[in-house]
Amino acid sequence: MLKLEQVSKTYGNKSEKAVDNISFQVYPGEIFGFVGPNGAGKTTTIKMIVSLLAPNSGKIIINGIDNQKNILEAKKQFSYVPDNPELFEKIKGIEYLKFMADVYEVPVAERQQLIEKYLAVFEIKEAVNDPIGSYSHGMKQKLALVGALIHDPQLFVLDEPMVGLDPKASFELKKIMREHCDRGRSVFFSTHVLDVAEKICDRIAIIKKGKIIEVGTMAEIREKAGSQESLENIFLELTE
Amino acid sequence: MKEIMALTKLFINESWGFSKFLYNRTNNKKAFYKQLVPMIIVPIALIPAFFMYVSFYIALYAGLRMINQTSVFLSVGYILTIALIIIFGIMYILSEFYFSKNIEELIPLPILSRNIIISKFLSILVSEYVFTALIFVPALIIYGVGEGMGFVYACLSILMFLTVPVLPLALLTALIMLIMQSASIKGRQDMLRIIFAFLGIALIMSVQVWFGNHMGNANNVDFQNLMNNLLKNNESLLNTIGYFVPTSLLLAWTLNKITLMSLAWAASSVAINIIAFALMVLVGKRFYIKSIVRGKIIKKGKRLSQIETQKALGKKSHGVMAIFSMDLRLLLRTPIYFFNNVSVVIIVPACLLISLSFIKLTPEDFNSIRNFYTEMPILVNFILIAFFIFFGATTATTATTFSREGKASWLTRMIPISSKDQIIGRTSVAVIIESLGIVFTLIGVSFYIPLTLLSLVLTVILGILGSLPILLFGLFMDMNHPLLDWDNPQKAVKNNMNVVTTLFVGMAYIGLLLAVSGLLGYFINPWLGYGLFSVISGIMTVVFYKIIDKRLAVKLLNFE
Ligand SMILES: Nc1ncnc2c1ncn2[C@@H]1O[C@H](COP(=O)(O)OP(=O)(O)O)[C@@H](O)[C@H]1O
Ligand SMILES: [Mg+2]
Repeated sequence: MLKLEQVSKTYGNKSEKAVDNISFQVYPGEIFGFVGPNGAGKTTTIKMIVSLLAPNSGKIIINGIDNQKNILEAKKQFSYVPDNPELFEKIKGIEYLKFMADVYEVPVAERQQLIEKYLAVFEIKEAVNDPIGSYSHGMKQKLALVGALIHDPQLFVLDEPMVGLDPKASFELKKIMREHCDRGRSVFFSTHVLDVAEKICDRIAIIKKGKIIEVGTMAEIREKAGSQESLENIFLELTE
Repeated sequence: MKEIMALTKLFINESWGFSKFLYNRTNNKKAFYKQLVPMIIVPIALIPAFFMYVSFYIALYAGLRMINQTSVFLSVGYILTIALIIIFGIMYILSEFYFSKNIEELIPLPILSRNIIISKFLSILVSEYVFTALIFVPALIIYGVGEGMGFVYACLSILMFLTVPVLPLALLTALIMLIMQSASIKGRQDMLRIIFAFLGIALIMSVQVWFGNHMGNANNVDFQNLMNNLLKNNESLLNTIGYFVPTSLLLAWTLNKITLMSLAWAASSVAINIIAFALMVLVGKRFYIKSIVRGKIIKKGKRLSQIETQKALGKKSHGVMAIFSMDLRLLLRTPIYFFNNVSVVIIVPACLLISLSFIKLTPEDFNSIRNFYTEMPILVNFILIAFFIFFGATTATTATTFSREGKASWLTRMIPISSKDQIIGRTSVAVIIESLGIVFTLIGVSFYIPLTLLSLVLTVILGILGSLPILLFGLFMDMNHPLLDWDNPQKAVKNNMNVVTTLFVGMAYIGLLLAVSGLLGYFINPWLGYGLFSVISGIMTVVFYKIIDKRLAVKLLNFE
């Protein structure tokens, strides 16, 4: 579903690489967690996947499409919610959702049904006719989530999705992620909240200073670390 | 004092982006040069304009000297400076005090609110000094040299230079704070901001027009008498000007002739400035902080029922339409954008019409205008075309299209919209705004000249066609150098070099094209002129479209 091959990125002419020669794969039907401390390069990697940043070298294949060769097609395969969704302040929630539905060419009946559903799930129905500038951080994030879910993407990319959400919303989001994968699609998300990764991910990759240091299921990573420790401890050891 | 200095430095740094610039010098060479090059090129490009400006002053001084009226010279420079400071000051004050987000971070800190106000004011003042140095100092120097002034004049003129922007800025700031306070109570700040800014400009314009008219009438009524008066009495014109801008008298009394009294007048000028400054701080303490602490009120929409929600979503639009309506909404709903990018097409025709209405035309005048048009329609047509294209270039809608989205631009870059849809959607917004200007202008012109249908069709089509290359060039510039890292929408348009570059390049290009096709049309055959104009415009449009279409998708990857 998603394949990164030896991807590297340096910002400007800094000496150290933000992302250093990383490769991994996300298979259809799995929730893949991208775990690492602050500044490890998670956001940078995600931006390269969602075509907001060009890698210096390496290849990114989304659903069989190279995202540097066929940018437009690749963009149709995923949807993305950034860690801090900055949205147009002067636009109303409903206008934003209509924009997203138009852009992803969602049929009318489907968009009406899905938006209705997700607005209810995330409890932002009341605010949908207000300008986004009047939303709280969490509300913006919820709106961005609804906007990302309406075209039912093959790959769902989220950057630190649980950070700004209230418990109910983050519970619902986890449920949605699972359902999404049950239909043979994939979820790729970054987090530094290890609990989350441990509970809901099928596989994880651990990144540190731009390098992938472990990839696999929880069991595999534990086995390598040779203990029954929680991910927390393994993580601390690995990223020391 | 230390706090004020530190804050002022912070605000200046923030509004000019020095830190980012220095960071880029070591960490991102490419971005650094992208910033550096326009910093060198734009001032160089402005040199001819500055040269013309100075020559205007020299000519004015020489002219006044001939009629023995040099005493008004400084007053004229002063009034011009003040008018410009006020016109540009409105937006700077609004943006520094009200649109900048730093205030919300500063209020919780243990800083005296007085110091915040003073520092914000000083940070604006510093830019105004740069501005004043360019537009007022030439007048001071020309007068000083012309009159053979000495050391005392030099000292006093430095002092006067330092005081010139303070008074208008302080009063303007106080006024804006008062109006913003009453505006925010109603909870519709944004709209009122626009209206306020417009009223301010309208007021200045009408005062100037009225002033010009007043003087003009005097000329008509009894020119001989006035001339005699002027030649006899060196002070009468000075007093007339002083009647409109009283502080101009202080300046004139201080600098026109250096006597002992000059010192006294200089001192009182300084005193008045200090009073204005204190007044501004007082008003600020009383109203500004309060209106910020009350919070920005955003008007909420009404709740939508299920049926209304369904209806709002009930139509599928094409990608071009999606981009177009998003861009247009942002433009119309953000006051700063509206003011900078849209208002030109309303203000310029309106001002033109108002000033024309002051000129009383006799039926013979009307006839001669009409005859001119019937004899040489091509000239009138090309003038109209030039005017329409002027709207296209000055609104800078495409030259800031990505920049205006700022930190939210990730959205329009991430979505699967083809380059074609992006280009057409964004350019259409500019064309719509331009069309607005075209309609207003045509309405205005129709009062004076009954345009033929052929003229209407020709000017509208060629006007829009001719502006397309400039609009696309603006898009090309903004695609290559978007200014996204701002916290204050003012920066997206005001600190944006794309606007200046597009304006200069666009004007040079279109001036040349219009001149060549105008001459061709006038001397050989009108259709040859229109034809050449259309063909070149068409070719340039296609070329730019192709270039952008080819590069846009990749450029969007590299915005940060
Ligand atoms: N726009 C940028 N310019 C320069 N350096 C950056 C930029 N964004 C991120 N970095 C650097 O890249 C590294 C990785 O950052 P990031 O991918 O945001 O980490 P994470 O999301 O894992 O916390 C950090 O060292 C950070 O300082
Ligand atoms: Mg991050």
